[in-house]
Amino acid sequence: MLLLIVYKIFDNIHWYTSMLIFSCEASLSLDYLYYCKVKLKCNQIGLPLGNLNNQLSPLFFERNDNGMILKDASMERSAKTSLIQRISLAVKRDWQLYVLLLPALGFIFVFCYLPLYGIQISFRDYKAVLGITGSPWVGLKNFRDFFNAYYFKRLLSNTFLLNLYGLLWGFPVPIIMAILLNQIEWPRFKKFTQTIIYVPHFISTVVMAGILYLFLSPDSGIVNTLIKTLGGKPVHFMIEPGWFRTLFIASDIWQHAGWNTILYIAALTGIDPELYEAATIDGATKLQKIRHIDIPHLVPIVVMMLILSCGSLLVSNTDKALLMQTPGNMVKSDIIGVYVYEMGLSKAQFSYTAAIGLFINVINFIMIISVNWISKRLGETSLF
Amino acid sequence: MAHAGIKMKKTFGDSLFDIVNTIFWVIVLFIIIYPLWFIIIASVSDPDAVIAGKVFLWPKDFSLIGYEAVFGHKELLRSYLNSVYYTLTGTALSVVVTMMAAYALSRNFSGKKFINFIFVFTMFFSGGLIPQFLMNQKLGLHDTVLLMIIINCVSVWNLMVARTYISMNIPNELYEAAIMDGANHFTYFIHAVLPLSGTIIAVLCVYYGVARWNDYFTALVYIRDRSKLPLQTILREAIAMLTTSTSTDAFFSAYEGDTKGMTEAIRKALVAKYCSIVISTVPAVILYILMQNYFVKGVMLGSLKG
Repeated sequence: MLLLIVYKIFDNIHWYTSMLIFSCEASLSLDYLYYCKVKLKCNQIGLPLGNLNNQLSPLFFERNDNGMILKDASMERSAKTSLIQRISLAVKRDWQLYVLLLPALGFIFVFCYLPLYGIQISFRDYKAVLGITGSPWVGLKNFRDFFNAYYFKRLLSNTFLLNLYGLLWGFPVPIIMAILLNQIEWPRFKKFTQTIIYVPHFISTVVMAGILYLFLSPDSGIVNTLIKTLGGKPVHFMIEPGWFRTLFIASDIWQHAGWNTILYIAALTGIDPELYEAATIDGATKLQKIRHIDIPHLVPIVVMMLILSCGSLLVSNTDKALLMQTPGNMVKSDIIGVYVYEMGLSKAQFSYTAAIGLFINVINFIMIISVNWISKRLGETSLF
Repeated sequence: MAHAGIKMKKTFGDSLFDIVNTIFWVIVLFIIIYPLWFIIIASVSDPDAVIAGKVFLWPKDFSLIGYEAVFGHKELLRSYLNSVYYTLTGTALSVVVTMMAAYALSRNFSGKKFINFIFVFTMFFSGGLIPQFLMNQKLGLHDTVLLMIIINCVSVWNLMVARTYISMNIPNELYEAAIMDGANHFTYFIHAVLPLSGTIIAVLCVYYGVARWNDYFTALVYIRDRSKLPLQTILREAIAMLTTSTSTDAFFSAYEGDTKGMTEAIRKALVAKYCSIVISTVPAVILYILMQNYFVKGVMLGSLKG
């Protein structure tokens, strides 16, 4: 199901870009400009528009048929009718659906599209008294500042490496778990296991970080108590930078690996049982069934997921890194999201941090699009 | 059971595989359950036993003073109620708005592709934290309860899941029949689509509800008035920060000036942290357990048709 959705989303994007190109061409054509001019004239004179649309269109098409762009006449016609007539027709027919969409569109507009307008402050020197549009333009100064900043390399590599190691360690776990879960033969144990492995996903990030602080505390934490009874010295896990990535990734796997099996289990459940029966009759062992039935069935979705997660290698998990950051482990825990939060909101460097955010967003966007392009190519050439 | 169709005598290799697999799962289950179990037993043990590291498998010197400390903590209690309020109102609003939009997107109408794009684009490109912060400031949403309820109201991912569910599970013939009987989109949505979408509504409730309950970052960015803070933000101060001096610890600061209460509070604080983890996590887990049957069904339905 999820896979289908992802495909649909990308299809839509593809469709949209082609539509955008088409409508640009249409609006650039002289005929369309002429049409607008006539309409504008009528508006000025004060003629009622409702009737005019019907009267104007044939007139306009006549001119079009005799005019210069004859070969594209049918295409042009549909484009032109779509502009005014089709909108009014659509509103008349589908207004109820638009009303149902309106609240969702409103929220998306306020919380996603208004901030896009606010992006301009990354090219300005934002001062609260001058407001967003009143602050002076400074071009690419904020971006240059970031590239030349002392922390630039550290931030970028910390963010990238945290995600890369997270992917290397965390990606295979749910796949292995799904395959082995599928092999449990005792239904009750299977159901119980499935229920339990989802539970940690519902623990909040704050509580997860709290558990780490409590369990790993050097004086009262259970882990250090164990180390002490075995004769070792207590480790300051949350302060030593060397432990940051290990803890971050291990706790992520503990929390979400079980949940992430859902997708793969769904794929495995979709396998035709007859395949297993045939394999059993032919004397295949369980390992052979995994090797020759399960894994080939999982490959497409695994490749898809892998490619998608490669597209988000520079996305920061700000929530969690902010919680796990201590003065001691800054060298490893300082990632872009946390830096933006600290500099932007605690030190009020709005323009500078907005520029960092924009830079990272653009990179992520490019990565997602190119990764999607690759996956499409792979999908067409088919892996097996 | 995928391969219960034919019963055959197990080979040695298969038996070995089953044993290894069972051992694997017992270990995995232990790794997942033990930390959770430890939190529960530590929360009902005596503070001294927990500090001394004597609690391992079973509560030691059973006591509830940790819970007393938590329930005596005014700020924690108020933030708990705040969180309940934000979660209930926010989730209700989210589910209603998402279902309305998901139904509309599951039908054909002109401009659908464009509106689809408006939604999907936000998944891939956003203004970022700072521009959003400034725009919300401009709208006067800073430090308001309204913001806590309507921010992140529509998750495009959930919207797409709901749309796919509706268009796959509710036959178009039903719509045609309803139109014949004089229904319009509103009546059809209320009387046919909603009653048939129990599964997806349950899934949405869990997704939205848990996300809201567990969110601390929004309040950290936008809320200054401490009486409006949700539970997770208070919890962050209490358990998820490196405490260097006692004054920064939320469990102590409530007792400032009261020396006797203070020493007692320091003793209680550790156990109280475990208790606050329990009381903050229980609602989300209960919601999951209650909705779990719907959940598995929803995933399976989607996978079969997809």
